[in-house]
Amino acid sequence: METGGFHGYRKLPNTTSGLKLSVSDMNMNMRQQQVASSDQNCSNHSAAGEENECTVREQDRFMPIANVIRIMRKILPPHAKISDDAKETIQECVSEYISFITGEANERCQREQRKTITAEDVLWAMSKLGFDDYIEPLTMYLHRYRELEGDRTSMRGEPLGKRTVEYATLATAFVPPPFHHHNGYFGAAMPMGTYVRETPPNAASSHHHHGISNAHEPNARSI
Amino acid sequence: MDHQGHGHGHGQNPSMGVVGNGPQFPYGSNPYQASHMTGSPGMVVASPGTIQSTGQPPSTQLGQHQLAYQHMHQQQQQQLRQRLQAFWANQYQEIEKVTDFKNHSLPLARIKKIMKADEDVRMISAEAPVIFARACEMFILELTLRSWNHTEENKRRTLQKNDIAAAITRTDIFDFLVDIVPREDLKDEVLASMPRGDVPVTGPPEALPYCYMPPQQVGAAGVMMGNKPVMDPYAQQTHPYNMAPQLWPQPPPPPEQQQSSPDQ
Repeated sequence: METGGFHGYRKLPNTTSGLKLSVSDMNMNMRQQQVASSDQNCSNHSAAGEENECTVREQDRFMPIANVIRIMRKILPPHAKISDDAKETIQECVSEYISFITGEANERCQREQRKTITAEDVLWAMSKLGFDDYIEPLTMYLHRYRELEGDRTSMRGEPLGKRTVEYATLATAFVPPPFHHHNGYFGAAMPMGTYVRETPPNAASSHHHHGISNAHEPNARSI
Repeated sequence: MDHQGHGHGHGQNPSMGVVGNGPQFPYGSNPYQASHMTGSPGMVVASPGTIQSTGQPPSTQLGQHQLAYQHMHQQQQQQLRQRLQAFWANQYQEIEKVTDFKNHSLPLARIKKIMKADEDVRMISAEAPVIFARACEMFILELTLRSWNHTEENKRRTLQKNDIAAAITRTDIFDFLVDIVPREDLKDEVLASMPRGDVPVTGPPEALPYCYMPPQQVGAAGVMMGNKPVMDPYAQQTHPYNMAPQLWPQPPPPPEQQQSSPDQ
């Protein structure tokens, strides 16, 4: 049964990847797809393998510099220039920020004997670490995300699906297969999404692995 | 690591105090920055009244210089506060209008990978990277805004690494970033930050002797600025600077020290 399911899944991602490639090799979605592929491969390797993978891909430790520069320019006057070492420093600061907040959020999870870091844990950690100004706008952002994306997310069941409509449509076909898992952390709007993401680790791992590994190969060839 | 931990513990209180005074007020940036600016502590505390009370009337020319600098500095701090208030108000308004959650300014997969770099992290909900994408955007914007303030203070148009170092040094919630900027980029901030940093660690009795070592400070100023005319204003500022402790929560010691060791 699982084999059959995986087989069916393998076909569709290839089609999706092909469509992406035909659109543009350089668009952000493709880059995100590549990152997602490497990310999934990384998470599916053994601990040692993952470390090696992450160590080799130095650029994966930072946010893409183009994105960082674009954000910086939003707040700077038009005539402002940014030195290269400043760009790199901001990149490092962002990664440090994510690790700093994640560490605090994870500690809370462990104290409460939970396994999954939630958005609430992230917000709690920010508040605890002094980023009070961030809480109000982010809380609203989370609420709007849930009311606008909640239903669609539950149908997709895959974070990758959020990036392309086509992929989301295809992903919908895989939500129906029954999974039995308790949902105790999210609001009513999210049960389906949570339901799928909370599937048994082995099944989830295999599921993601097959999907991503297939998506990865076309990218590798195109490169 | 110890330094980071200490910085965090210490920084938490001022931030909370400031927040209590007003939701939109920056994280104690004004008092913190004042104590970090080279020369600015003297300017901030050296109001005409204060100078007169100490029996150290400045020359007319020097007084004007101090007042001009003080005014310019206060103007810059006020400008930064206004910009930060506008920034946070703008963030809230922008998020109220957000309808597109598909195109994040930062890739979710990369965020997730960085989160998972910590081996203790097991599972991450789909919403966490989404929140982080927006949080990191806000973080980049705030850090860039504070850094640019330092760029403008130095009359430059290119944001440099030392501007980021200055912003990190002046902002308590950014203490966790001190290891990212090398010491040399903090050099300009070190002298200004030493007194404040020393007080919580060593207490006033030990901090004050440092404040009363004009030769060392003057020498450092000379080396940094490389010309004598600048030394005089700095030396003059040294005296008002010694009164800075009076503004801190331990008033008794400073007056005694001051009386027992009157400058020139």
